[in-house]
Amino acid sequence: MRLFYELGLRSLQRQLVYRTAALAGLATNFFFGIIRISVLVALYGSRQEVAGIPLQGAITFTGLSQATIGILSLFSWYELMNNVYTGAISSDLLKPMSLFHYWLSHDFGRAVGQLLLRGLPMMAAYAVFFGITTPDSTWQWIAFILSLIFAWLVSFSWRFLVNLAAFWIPNALGIVRFAFILSWFMSGFLMPLRYFPDWFVKLCAFTPFPYTINTVVEIYLGILQGPAIIQAILAQLVWGAVLILAGQLVLRLGIRKLVILGG
Amino acid sequence: MIHNFSLYWRLIGVQIRSQLQYRLAFFLDVLGTSLITILNFATLAFVFQRFGSIAGWNLGEVAFLYGMVEAAFGVMDMLFSGFDPQNFGRQVRLGRMDQLLLRPLDITLQVFGSEFIMRRLGRIAQGLLVLGVAIAMLDIQWTITKLLYMPVVIVSLVCFFGGLFIIGATITFWTYESIEVVNIFTYGGSEMMSYPMNIYQNWLRQFFTYIIPAIFLIYYPALYFLDKPDPFPMPGFARFLSPVVGLGILWAALLFWNYGLRHYQSTGT
Amino acid sequence: MKEIIVVENLQKHFRIAKHHRGPGGTFRNLFSHEYRLIRAVDDVTFRVDKGELVGYLGPNGAGKSTTIKILAGLLVPTAGNLVVNGYIPWKDRKTYVARIGAVFGQRTTLWWDLPVIESLDLLRFIYQIPKDRFQENISEFRQLLDLDPFLDTPVRSLSLGQRMRADLCAALLHDPVMLFLDEPTIGLDVVAKEHIRQFIQHINHQRGTTVILTTHDMSDVERLCERVMIIDHGKLLFDGALEMLRRRFGGKRRLMVDFGEVYPEIHIEGAQVTECNGQRVVFEFERSTITASVLIGRLSEKYRIQDLEVREPDIEATIRRIYEEKLLDL
Repeated sequence: MRLFYELGLRSLQRQLVYRTAALAGLATNFFFGIIRISVLVALYGSRQEVAGIPLQGAITFTGLSQATIGILSLFSWYELMNNVYTGAISSDLLKPMSLFHYWLSHDFGRAVGQLLLRGLPMMAAYAVFFGITTPDSTWQWIAFILSLIFAWLVSFSWRFLVNLAAFWIPNALGIVRFAFILSWFMSGFLMPLRYFPDWFVKLCAFTPFPYTINTVVEIYLGILQGPAIIQAILAQLVWGAVLILAGQLVLRLGIRKLVILGG
Repeated sequence: MIHNFSLYWRLIGVQIRSQLQYRLAFFLDVLGTSLITILNFATLAFVFQRFGSIAGWNLGEVAFLYGMVEAAFGVMDMLFSGFDPQNFGRQVRLGRMDQLLLRPLDITLQVFGSEFIMRRLGRIAQGLLVLGVAIAMLDIQWTITKLLYMPVVIVSLVCFFGGLFIIGATITFWTYESIEVVNIFTYGGSEMMSYPMNIYQNWLRQFFTYIIPAIFLIYYPALYFLDKPDPFPMPGFARFLSPVVGLGILWAALLFWNYGLRHYQSTGT
Repeated sequence: MKEIIVVENLQKHFRIAKHHRGPGGTFRNLFSHEYRLIRAVDDVTFRVDKGELVGYLGPNGAGKSTTIKILAGLLVPTAGNLVVNGYIPWKDRKTYVARIGAVFGQRTTLWWDLPVIESLDLLRFIYQIPKDRFQENISEFRQLLDLDPFLDTPVRSLSLGQRMRADLCAALLHDPVMLFLDEPTIGLDVVAKEHIRQFIQHINHQRGTTVILTTHDMSDVERLCERVMIIDHGKLLFDGALEMLRRRFGGKRRLMVDFGEVYPEIHIEGAQVTECNGQRVVFEFERSTITASVLIGRLSEKYRIQDLEVREPDIEATIRRIYEEKLLDL
């Protein structure tokens, strides 16, 4: 556990070094936010609420999704893959700790860094310029924070699993990118999944992706209430566990292949 | 002149060949990036099922905008890859400019020929596909002028975004840290122009009318193509200002670029 | 005209913004316009004749690379006159550069993903080299530089030595009148270094190509240069024959000997003992007083020698001495 903290801290510190770049990124994200808000406002037109989401909630969604995208890093994460390709993985395997544990801690630090550098500032900017809704009760806040942590877990284990393709495929960049695009599409980042046709939402439920951004958003906005919240968080946990197990299994296979066949 | 041109093709050829070295990876790359545009459009289509229209524009009309912008941006991204600010800035700091200065060739030509990212073809194809679908959905009253003006608008968009890339690359001669800000204008700009610009608040729209006249690049031509009324009465010729804006930005960008080159030569890295 | 390079009162100054440290520093940095002036090239004057092979030496940060960049047309000087091969390098860049070649030890001029031969072919077009001349040069260089084993290998897969040889070939394909070499033997093993030096000498003698060579390696200088220029802190401290450099400023050479047994006291005429560590003894001797072979001979007459090594005075020490002497001269 101590190691987790140490690794995470180091990763966080590295993130904080790139402060000015983060500011530039924040500005870019904010601009995108303005566009998304304009689109949503125009879409709503004279309607106050669509699919159970009031306009103010939709506006908050654009900020929230932008804020969480960095934390969850759903768009792109190739660190493990690059590690395998450069051969750095060999020295990692010599270290007396689980590879999964190492990357988990490393990514947690990174996520916290993103939270501090992008997530919170983004929400603050939104609160100032556009006004945002916030969870009604303490319970909702707790549920939100829990779901965020589990969302990160789901996201990380998916990214980890996908990166493992590097053990078998010499140039897996295209495939990994492809996998990320899928997850991005079904995560509810572009638009709340509630807007989508029911059949599509049902389809997405078979994948872990809605349990990243969409679940977090729905809990935050209060769309999910009571038992539905517990259901959603449980689903996150289940998917997280499944992906972690799959990751461990594939990792073991991959290491075996690496060790036996080399290169 | 001809020598320069044939050299450009050779330099591009080098890029293409090295990318095609890994056939499968390249194919998957194109596939992957293609999907982004299509999935974006799918999202749009799904959302429109629920909302119906946006500020008086239906799905087909918005798709028209989106398709044009995506196709043009893809073309630009491919042609102007060498000027991609983040990549260019890195190359300058690695000392690659010296390599270019040592060759008896025009520097600008060499930068153009230094990168040619083939997988952008995916975005171009998707953009054209979406555009095709849009045109099929709509009932555009085509005239000879409209038909001739379509490619002109695409070229103008390419020049506009290309100019922004060049400006970004020039800035990296001085500073590299916050170069991401350029993304607001390139990626942010293309996102913005994919929607009818009458949805934006006054201050934003006016910025992109009078300061960076992006509104004339695709919005006004679209009003013309789709025979839609102008919500902010502009003179009639506004619809044909697209090439003026596109070429104007590109020209200004090249002036800035040449200035930046001269500065680089006198201070080095 | 015999002269190919004419440099007069060359100046290159850099303004570096003063960086303030500490908590208030960041704030001050935003507003201050204080600059430090760095004279990378400070009033340098020299001439080079056609066909010369000149060494351009100096410690790191002395201004070597800056001078070479200016000579190659990559950098615009702050002041001074400069004519190379009848051109002002930075002004007539495209026409000037077509007649010179350059190899920078750290970076390659070739295309990373292309096989060497394809890179060279591309250069043929860029420099507009007539096809038969290109073939002649390629065959000659293939032999001299032993390029055949890796002609079809992409540049990214080459070892440092191979890449250097490929870069040399590339720099000479278009028959330049002038060759700039910036640390061409850096990072190479002894055998590779020797091959590169032989090649450079061949090019200079057979083709009459003028060569300006910057290096840290005194052995490069000893092997190749008849004339050396030494620069430090932007100033030209020495410009003359290598022999003169050796004689006036050579400094003490060192002989490191591993004796067969531990000798209680070692005396030898012509050299002083500076270190004594059991069986290992270090001697210092002057070039003008005694040669290495004579010293070794004398030692082996009196003592049993197992192994030995001759060490030249390093360039930094030599330059420091020149600097001190110059200061005294003033």
